[in-house]
Amino acid sequence: MNKPDLLQGTLDMLILKVLSRESTHGFGICQRIQQWSEDVLSVGEGSLYPALYRLQDKGWIESEWGQSENNRRAKYYRLTKTGRKQLEVESEGWEQMCMAIRLVMKAT
Amino acid sequence: MNLWLKLQSRFHALFQKRWLDVEMDEELRSHIELRAQANIEAGMNPEEARFEALRQFGHTDGIKETCRDQRGVSWLENLIRDIRIGTRQLWKNPGFSLVVIFTLALGMGANTAIFSVVNAVLLRPLPYPDEGRIVALSEQGANGGGDPIAYPNFEDWLAQQKVFEQIGVYKWESAVLTGLKEPAQLQGARLSSGLLEALAVQPELGRLFRPDEDRPGAAPTVLISHAFWQSRFGGSPGVLNQSITLDGEPHEVVGVMPGHFEFPNKLDYWVPIGLMVTEKGWQDRKNHPGLYGIARLRRGVALPQAREELNLIATRLEQQYPASNTGRRVQIEQLHESAVGGVRRALLMLLGAVGLVLLIACANIAGLFLARSVGRRKEMALRSALGASRSRLILQLLTESMLLALIGSIIGMVFAKVGLKMLATLIAGGVPRADKIALNGTVLMVSAVVALATGFLFGLAPAWASVRTNLQDALKIAGRGSTGGHTRTRYSLITAEIAVTLLLLIGFGLFLRSFHRLQTLNPGFVPDHVLTFEVDLPEQKYANAEKVLAFYQPIIEQLRALPGVQAASLGLRLPLENGTRTTSYVVEGETRLEPGQRPSMCIQVAGPDYFRTIGTPLLRGRFFDASDNREHLRIPDGKMDWASALNVIVIDEDFARRHWPDSNPIGRRIRMAFREDSPWMTVIGVVPRIKWRRLNEEGGLVQCYLPFLQVPMHKMKVLIKTTEGADAVIEAAQAIVSSLDPSQPITNVQTLASLHERSTSHQRLSVTLLGIFGFLALSLAIVGLYGVLAYTVSQRRQEIGVRMALGAQRNSILRMIIGQGLKLALIGVALGIISALTFTRIVASMLFQVAPVDPLTFVAVPLFLIAVSVFACWVPALRASKLDPMIALRTE
Repeated sequence: MNKPDLLQGTLDMLILKVLSRESTHGFGICQRIQQWSEDVLSVGEGSLYPALYRLQDKGWIESEWGQSENNRRAKYYRLTKTGRKQLEVESEGWEQMCMAIRLVMKAT
Repeated sequence: MNLWLKLQSRFHALFQKRWLDVEMDEELRSHIELRAQANIEAGMNPEEARFEALRQFGHTDGIKETCRDQRGVSWLENLIRDIRIGTRQLWKNPGFSLVVIFTLALGMGANTAIFSVVNAVLLRPLPYPDEGRIVALSEQGANGGGDPIAYPNFEDWLAQQKVFEQIGVYKWESAVLTGLKEPAQLQGARLSSGLLEALAVQPELGRLFRPDEDRPGAAPTVLISHAFWQSRFGGSPGVLNQSITLDGEPHEVVGVMPGHFEFPNKLDYWVPIGLMVTEKGWQDRKNHPGLYGIARLRRGVALPQAREELNLIATRLEQQYPASNTGRRVQIEQLHESAVGGVRRALLMLLGAVGLVLLIACANIAGLFLARSVGRRKEMALRSALGASRSRLILQLLTESMLLALIGSIIGMVFAKVGLKMLATLIAGGVPRADKIALNGTVLMVSAVVALATGFLFGLAPAWASVRTNLQDALKIAGRGSTGGHTRTRYSLITAEIAVTLLLLIGFGLFLRSFHRLQTLNPGFVPDHVLTFEVDLPEQKYANAEKVLAFYQPIIEQLRALPGVQAASLGLRLPLENGTRTTSYVVEGETRLEPGQRPSMCIQVAGPDYFRTIGTPLLRGRFFDASDNREHLRIPDGKMDWASALNVIVIDEDFARRHWPDSNPIGRRIRMAFREDSPWMTVIGVVPRIKWRRLNEEGGLVQCYLPFLQVPMHKMKVLIKTTEGADAVIEAAQAIVSSLDPSQPITNVQTLASLHERSTSHQRLSVTLLGIFGFLALSLAIVGLYGVLAYTVSQRRQEIGVRMALGAQRNSILRMIIGQGLKLALIGVALGIISALTFTRIVASMLFQVAPVDPLTFVAVPLFLIAVSVFACWVPALRASKLDPMIALRTE
């Protein structure tokens, strides 16, 4: 099983997770991640948008323009079928990784 | 994501860039606005909210750049932009660009030309399916392979072998066509049906021979060539089942061979060999009537395995038939190899030589780029400071050089075409399969790859050097142009160039001496002013010796009477034509030897004036004359018995030396050993050795001559020594022949001089090309040396000014500069001599009577090169010595 890339891959996984719950725009994804992590994680726009483009290129998310809350045009993203599968794969990998790290840190 | 969707997105990214950019802008803007809105809701005032949102967002342009990279086509965009920048650079410096392009065009054009020859001759497979499995067979005796096969041996090979799918034999022949408009001499071959199967060819029209047609007593059939079908039958399909008369015998046309079928050469017709199997002598194992074999290996069988098995069979036959097969083995080689093997070395050597010329050109251009890079230092430093990564800069510079290389290579194609046209006669003479030499797809593709590689080669070092500059130093306004490492690099490049040039020039020198030796060699005859043609008589019509004599003799008599004709005679073969008959022989009075150990000799049949016509002197005794005829035969032969009337023979000096070194050979007797009852012949004359096969053959079998008047053959050549123009004489000859037999054509008109020239065409090609390459290399190296020195002088101007101000004379400046150049030249020459000592050994086999380390060449050429180098140094040195110290010191 591949060890996932910690930085870039983790952000991808978080984005996929957010989009699995609701379809939203870039700012919305930022907000959600900040909210759900209780303000621990904050995603910079510099990492978010390249990630969104990358995920879109890989076919895991797709986008379309829509109306935002304040009646402005915004680009909304949602998960694709393959994206959903990818999310499962990545969260599994993440779980295994966490367990492994925990074991190492527990050793005295 | 599947490939189609990916391609779609790439396509969008490339061609709808602007629209995508606008979208991205809008998306980022909306993000900022949403955040601003959220901030307002959190309690900030609108201005602060917006400011905070912007600050939070960060560097928009950087983000946009990263996003654009994600689109996956940035490499393509960069490439397009690099090409545009590169083109602009080339346009701005036309002089530089033109010089580089021209140099490249010369180098690459030469390479393309030579490679197209190599491609057509060596690389191109033969036009038969799966041709790698087709092999050529011949017999191998004590004096090497390539001997024709005895038919009973072939039958045994056929019966006992297990390694071939098909196997067959063929034999060259010619026949007179009658009954179809004007009579003509046709060239053809006899083949067994198995041979056509081995080649796996299909006829264009009709069918191939059936096995029952390839048998003695079968009705004669014939396959005709595409060209013959077009010219004589107008390409009409009604040719099948028609009949053509060859040598008086009607043959039914069963098929037409396709135009590309040229086995064993460009011929007019093919007939089954089976009809001749019962001919006299074919069943005799000692007789080798000019047969050669072709076979197709079974799948999975390798050549060595087949060789082993056939030699095993040969050993078995040796035990069964010791009288004929002792020491006879089988020679197998791939058909492709037997066709081009002889010329492979020379072509590869020429390819290597022209590659070296291209390398020298690259070195020169690299030097030019290095010089130019100094001027672009500021530009590179600036771009680096603005954020261009090193690899981007190098890529852009490399794109420039590859662009130049590609343009150079395209123009080089034109040079290549012109060059090939100019060399066409040289190539066609010396090189097999030369008719398909063309700038085809393979050649173009290889040229493109070579161009890119060349661009990379000469562009890399300068590009690397360009970006390695110290930012601060380069941006200073008064940048003192210190050459630093560049000069040293250029010096080593020039040294290498001179070394390679010396190698090429030495090669040229060696080949030139070899060619000269070949040209001035005494071939045993005088080729000037000798015209020849061939008249082949059909055996059916001229069935006995008297009829043959009655035809040929009047021709000679009438030719002698023509104005301007000094001598005329008949001969079976021409010198340098490479077709001799051999037979073993017995000398009277010597110990009897076993059949396999008897010596062999080359036989020629010659008319009375033969030696006088070709200018061979008489060493001892006398030539043939009119008295050496058939009248001594007690019972005149009704049928043609080849040897029964022989009683005299002329031998060559080697023959005399070998058997009678201390006594007079005249009067001694010899007989041919292929039959136990062949008559004894008395030696009446001794002549020098004549080169029958090639000019550069040395050693070989002893030679002897039989009188035509005693063994009149059917396919004689007429030789005429005349100072008149060839056309007039041939016309007269044709008239004479037609008056004797109107259906008899004359063929193969040529001069001995052209034969002589053709026999050296191989070497002539090498010498000419090496000369051209050597000259190109020399020019490039000298120009390069001049350029480097001129540059050095301009860089050292201040130093020279200082020296002069301190009292140095003009002469000492002159000496200093020339000394610099001379040092480079000497090192280069030394390196060149060392490499020549190692490499010329490779070409030793192609040289004639010239050692690979020929002292004259190895001394003269380096001296010449040093002299030319000094000459190249002269102008920059002169300019340096003429510098006005005041001006030199003032300017920077």
